[in-house]
Amino acid sequence: MLSKSAARRFFLVGTALCFGAFLLLTVDTLGRIPEQTNQQELSESAIRGKHLWDRSNCMGCHTLLGEGAYYAPELTRVHSRRGPVFIEAMLRDPEAMYPGRRRMWQYDFSDQEIQDLVAFFAWIDRMDLNGFPAEPNLLQVAGADGLGDAASRYPLTFQQICVACHKLEGQGGVVGPALDGVADRMTPETLRKHLKDPKSVKPDSLMPQLPLDDATIDELVAFLSTLKASSTGGAR
Amino acid sequence: MRYESQRIAYWFFATSMLLLALQIVYGFLMGFAHIGFDVLHEIIPFHVARATHLNLLVVWLLCGFMGATYYIVPEEVGRELHSVKAAWVQLISLVVVGVVAILGFHFQWWEGRKFLEIPRPLDWLVVVNVLLFLANIALTMWKAPRMTTTSCVLFFGLLMAALLYLPGMIPTDHQTLDSYWRWWVVHLWVEGVWELIMGGILAYLLIKLTGVDREVIEKWLYVIVGLTFLSGILGTGHHYYYIGTPRYWLLIGGIFSALEPLAFLGMAIYAIAMARRGGRAHANRNALSWTIGCSVMSFVGAGFLGFAHTLPQVNLWTHGTLVTAMHGHMAFWGAYAMLVLGIVAYAMPQLTGRKLHDTPLSAYAFWASNIGMVAMTVAFGVAGVAQVYLERKMGLDFLQVQEEIAVHFVGLILAAALFASGIAAYIVQFVRYGLPVGVVQPAHEAEIASTLATDGGVGAAARG
Repeated sequence: MLSKSAARRFFLVGTALCFGAFLLLTVDTLGRIPEQTNQQELSESAIRGKHLWDRSNCMGCHTLLGEGAYYAPELTRVHSRRGPVFIEAMLRDPEAMYPGRRRMWQYDFSDQEIQDLVAFFAWIDRMDLNGFPAEPNLLQVAGADGLGDAASRYPLTFQQICVACHKLEGQGGVVGPALDGVADRMTPETLRKHLKDPKSVKPDSLMPQLPLDDATIDELVAFLSTLKASSTGGAR
Repeated sequence: MRYESQRIAYWFFATSMLLLALQIVYGFLMGFAHIGFDVLHEIIPFHVARATHLNLLVVWLLCGFMGATYYIVPEEVGRELHSVKAAWVQLISLVVVGVVAILGFHFQWWEGRKFLEIPRPLDWLVVVNVLLFLANIALTMWKAPRMTTTSCVLFFGLLMAALLYLPGMIPTDHQTLDSYWRWWVVHLWVEGVWELIMGGILAYLLIKLTGVDREVIEKWLYVIVGLTFLSGILGTGHHYYYIGTPRYWLLIGGIFSALEPLAFLGMAIYAIAMARRGGRAHANRNALSWTIGCSVMSFVGAGFLGFAHTLPQVNLWTHGTLVTAMHGHMAFWGAYAMLVLGIVAYAMPQLTGRKLHDTPLSAYAFWASNIGMVAMTVAFGVAGVAQVYLERKMGLDFLQVQEEIAVHFVGLILAAALFASGIAAYIVQFVRYGLPVGVVQPAHEAEIASTLATDGGVGAAARG
């Protein structure tokens, strides 16, 4: 039968071995983190963004690298998912982006601070995270008729920003109206005007004024103009 | 109660109760926010409520551990505390730092690092505070006629907890390093040295409540804390899967964290076995319920539900979802909240001299809070699993999924109401006990002699 002193020895030796191994692994890990996380690309701006992230307790609602709270979206890949324009608009006025939905604190960030946070997200976005976050693997099944595919034919800005609120071919958000057949309802000129300042076309529009540049607007107008009811999913 | 200075524990316990009640209020705020009633957004937005909820938890548990230590150590080592005055200074300063931190959160003065939100200047005050506490306990033990394994394990756990607070203060500009060190604190606390504290307090309660021989209980205590460290230290790796650290952590973290339930299972078997073996039926059945309940619920919450999403293949999908909240709630409840409620339930009749244990109210407190917590865990679990499938596996939009699963938060709030009614009953009972005016009853000579006989060797070894 195990004696008390043997039990104590088991505790002391086991703990010492495991802690020793943990220390060695820590030394090795610290040596490898710079390469795995592209530390050479960590700019001054991104560093300011990191500290702003902490100071604002973004983790109090969001997760980053899967760590934080579960009240607001995962932001690890937000830079490629939504793009800098969306992030900028969101940080400037969160309520405008998701009117009447779950609320984000209005931080009143300065332009510089917004740029710093975007730089921080861009750096996080490129980290090698051993496969996290995983690509949804049931989408192919859900969209057997090829809807998942269709999205890849949309312009990047459309995939990043517009679908957050609008549906097209049954995929996308529910805040704004679906965009199927939008070309029948609006001329290219109206679409352009609408994208620049939604309220100039529809005074009661909930759509925010997005900081899009002219080239992006041209691209979106060209794409939206193809969305006629007669050929739903004009991109096909 | 054997020593005058044990009375100080009462005030730590009372502080704990107050903070626990507040913690639950902030929990409700977040629950309602999840179903769309974020009515206090302008005053207490979600991230403020969240930081407050987490830090109140940490502080009330630490306060409970400190109270427990002040209560247990004099009896274990056979002398009064080194300084009751220092204990008072320590309690008051802890409360001041806590109040400043919590108020500060409401003005968004914080660090924004989960569990370690307390701003840096206050971190240093916490360190000083804990050093004062440890010095007081260390001097008490040093001057004592004997030293028991139980008190040594308890002290070692507290000392390591204090030391492991330091890595969290290493300054860094790098998100991965920040997380790396943050888990040294958070993980090595709750799945490491806090389990020593838990083991020590459980051993004390079992010795008192079951009457099983100290030698037997302490032997198994070593085995259990041994298992804890064997699995828990390298088990930290399960936080290093997806944060920009090398791939080998998937293997190491996976294997060792999968072993973590063993320590908790050991703890449960140990508590139940000792209770069955015990010849003496202690009058305080309620304290025994909490003690056994703690060991069982910690196995379910920390061991089983932790295992449920600790393997990398599973965690890839569940990492950063409400599944974590499911595990987190029951783990903290089972392992640490119930432990503190257990030692308080044991100590109160002794401290106040009133035998109010085993009233219908105390039975209600135990069952309502436990059934409520199980139901809360189920609600979090259903919401979490639905989130994993809809958002992570099918790629639906975050907010859309949140609206789909909001109904489970209605369930959560109902379950939390039952839980809160149990805690309210516990606190009412605590208040009914009144102030610590219990009579000091010196130990019988024979009892001291028998403990000295069994512990003499350990005490000498530990000191030499």
